[in-house]
Amino acid sequence: MSDNYDVIVIGAGHNGLVCANILAKKNRKVLICEARENCGGLVEESITNFVPQIPLSVSSSLGGLPVKYKAKSTIALSESGQHIQLVGNQHIDHKVISGYSTKDADRYIEFHDKMSSFSKALGSFMMASPPRIMNNTFSDYFKLFKLGMNVRMLGKKKFNEFARMIGLNIADELEDNFENTLLQGLIAHDAVLGSNLGPRSPGSLINLLYRMATHDNSIFGGIYEIDGGSKAFVDTLLDMSNKNKVEIKTSSSVKRCITENDKAVGVELHNGEKIYAKKIISNADPRSTYFSLLGTENLDTDVKRRIKHHRSKGKVAKLSLSLNKLPEFINCNKEDLESRMVIAPSIDYIEETFNPSKFDKLSMEPILEMKLKNSEQSNPVLDIQVQYASYGAKEGWDKIKDNYIDAVVKLISKYAPDIESCIETQAIVTPDDIEKDFHVTGGHWHHGEIQIDQLFMLRPIPGASQYRTHLDGLYMCGAGTHPGGGLTGIPGKNAAQVILEDS
Amino acid sequence: MTNDLRFTALKKTPFHSRTSLASRTNKYYNWNGFTVPTEYSTTELEYTAARNGTSVMDLTPMCKYMIKGSDANRFVDYLVTRDLSQMEDNTVAYIIWCNEDGKVMDDGTIFKFSDSKFMLCCAVKIYNWLHDSGEGFNVTFEDATDTTAALAIQGPTSCSTLKNFGADELELLKPFGMKEFHINGYEVLISRTGFTGDLGYELWTDPANAENMWDSIMEAGKELKIRPFGMNALEMTRIEAGFIQTNTDFMAAEDTLRPVRMRSPYEIGMGWMVHLNKESYFVGKQALKKEKEKGNSERCLVGLDIDGDKPAVGSVIYNEKKEDIGIVTAAMWSPTMKRNVALASLRRPYGIKIKENIFAEIYHPEELEYKKIWAKCKIVKRQFFSPERRNKVPADLYE
Repeated sequence: MSDNYDVIVIGAGHNGLVCANILAKKNRKVLICEARENCGGLVEESITNFVPQIPLSVSSSLGGLPVKYKAKSTIALSESGQHIQLVGNQHIDHKVISGYSTKDADRYIEFHDKMSSFSKALGSFMMASPPRIMNNTFSDYFKLFKLGMNVRMLGKKKFNEFARMIGLNIADELEDNFENTLLQGLIAHDAVLGSNLGPRSPGSLINLLYRMATHDNSIFGGIYEIDGGSKAFVDTLLDMSNKNKVEIKTSSSVKRCITENDKAVGVELHNGEKIYAKKIISNADPRSTYFSLLGTENLDTDVKRRIKHHRSKGKVAKLSLSLNKLPEFINCNKEDLESRMVIAPSIDYIEETFNPSKFDKLSMEPILEMKLKNSEQSNPVLDIQVQYASYGAKEGWDKIKDNYIDAVVKLISKYAPDIESCIETQAIVTPDDIEKDFHVTGGHWHHGEIQIDQLFMLRPIPGASQYRTHLDGLYMCGAGTHPGGGLTGIPGKNAAQVILEDS
Repeated sequence: MTNDLRFTALKKTPFHSRTSLASRTNKYYNWNGFTVPTEYSTTELEYTAARNGTSVMDLTPMCKYMIKGSDANRFVDYLVTRDLSQMEDNTVAYIIWCNEDGKVMDDGTIFKFSDSKFMLCCAVKIYNWLHDSGEGFNVTFEDATDTTAALAIQGPTSCSTLKNFGADELELLKPFGMKEFHINGYEVLISRTGFTGDLGYELWTDPANAENMWDSIMEAGKELKIRPFGMNALEMTRIEAGFIQTNTDFMAAEDTLRPVRMRSPYEIGMGWMVHLNKESYFVGKQALKKEKEKGNSERCLVGLDIDGDKPAVGSVIYNEKKEDIGIVTAAMWSPTMKRNVALASLRRPYGIKIKENIFAEIYHPEELEYKKIWAKCKIVKRQFFSPERRNKVPADLYE
């Protein structure tokens, strides 16, 4: 047996590509095995809408990433036409909000400053690999100590405030601060987006902090659209892979990881082919990595328990409406339509939508985040993220899909009365579809809930943080690892660093 | 008047009508939710029966689990540290199992009927653990504790007693062998296993047959010095045999409050049961491999032969500088060996590299005063008592 490759990456999602390229730049011979025909994974027009910018630390590790972004403002739509538009600039936003309530506007600045300082304290931690708590080494404790210090350095008052807020629900905090329900709804929407939490669920506040840490530490800034769409982004990474001589095998689904002397030494494909390498990196979600690649018979009972209890039920569906003309949104001009449009009129509305999802059921009044594409052309497309579209919905997605799409369109028609007459075709991708087509357990954006028990050194499960799995030689670089999904490339970059440290 | 003491009564075993009749002292204790006698008459008398005649003990409260399914053999091999891949049908094996940290959760015995059927007997309830460990294996689990009546028949005349009872050719059964018998119209599984370190058997049957079985065996052993014995006498015999007991000689890993109190197999003298080179993975392997490679086991469990005749119950063990190096987990004056013996958990290197100048501080109660004894200890093999008859095939018979 010879090591044909230095590294095999399982899955050509963006984190897998980032990881592979960084390793290839360090003269490692890298092979990527991708189960699907196309690379990019969930970075797909049919999945992604708005993204944060790839952080500098990631793009510089790649030697620069020539991707162009278009900054987006946010509009919270109101049935009465009293929309709120925010751009992420404090002065402009202050002015907008004071149009509705001067009290809210002042509070917003305060609230934003506070949240921003907390998100910055977490920020440095977000970028690096987290400590491994079950390791008991000095450097791991030191990292933990540093995070504690970062937060403590905020000062006693802020530290107390941070401690108060860390387990808080976002609704309480917003209701304490603001009187405008639309503004409350908008911020609450961003806090729960992509998660299994409602605005009144404990822990929904840290979700917002987490989001801010990847979005320039601001609530409404740092929201982008990729110029040229997801394809442009993936193509850039593929070009780079080509240059760095990363081999990519598509339509090559990996069946299991080959182990020898309790060490990962290669992969076996579903077609029976065996490929060997010094290190194996899985871009798959934690459950697939552990239960399929590693195999249940090679895991300690406690590890099986943790993986079994790992929460990864997706809650977001994406509906794409192909239009024959631009719909007329009430009180919106053409420029406004270029913004991120959110339909989440109040906290109570979101909570009502969330309620049935607790029982894996669907609400027919969902909350929406919309993006209008090709607005200059004759065939514009309205891309809609539909929140609380439960994975494994009890109603049965096959049966209810059409009704659900109708409900979403009906909802939009309250804000754009002519929407129905504009629709040519419609297509929805549910979490169940994501699981099936993209091989992500539960169809979760982040390969696992972003909640306090699945964050930092607990991500994806205790004992498996720092991108190492329980099997020597097998690593993880997907969104299931710290700091999670959201098209940042950080998991991929950090995993590459850990692998370089280990070899 | 209604009963205001609202608690759930302890369960009675299928032998209760007989054990309660045999009990003169009415001393019972709670074993795994069942009420069973601590002693029937006097512990010394019961102990003597176990070493010189036949002793009968109600084993029903022991946890018993049936493991069935096409992956049963693979699963059992995955669960325990020992290599069971080559285990033969109709045999029994002594086993331990660990958690992911390689710390011992419990010890027990596994009975193999076939590749797809096993029975696991142990002290601590582990249904949940079995279930979660079974993820990915084609196995089912059934808690058979309440549906299997069990008796231990131990002692030099035990084989003769059981032959009188109707177990033909039982003397040919090898140690750790088991065999189905059809006696008095019902099925009895007899295994040559036990917790006394002597010749002995354990009987497993349906609870419906329990009373008849008890009566028939008592009758069969009438001339062979048969006597029921309770937990106190069993404790004496098991210390002499050097057997360890969960939550006495070590803490069950999943029950400890303090992680440092968990013990690896190497720390309780069970290293010989860890087969790191077995082909498949087993729970705790990674941690145990690391511990073995690094050699960083912290404790050891040793047998002590202590000067004098005062049992060192609960004694602290010291080196010559009077530094605390460990604790006695079980101790007794052995009437059979005429030795003062103990099991002790020591801090390495004591007990492994340093075996000299070890002392026990014994507090011996004498009519409301403690006599403090500083006794010299010798480190010896843990198996204090192991007579030849224990493993003899065919087994000794008496008339």
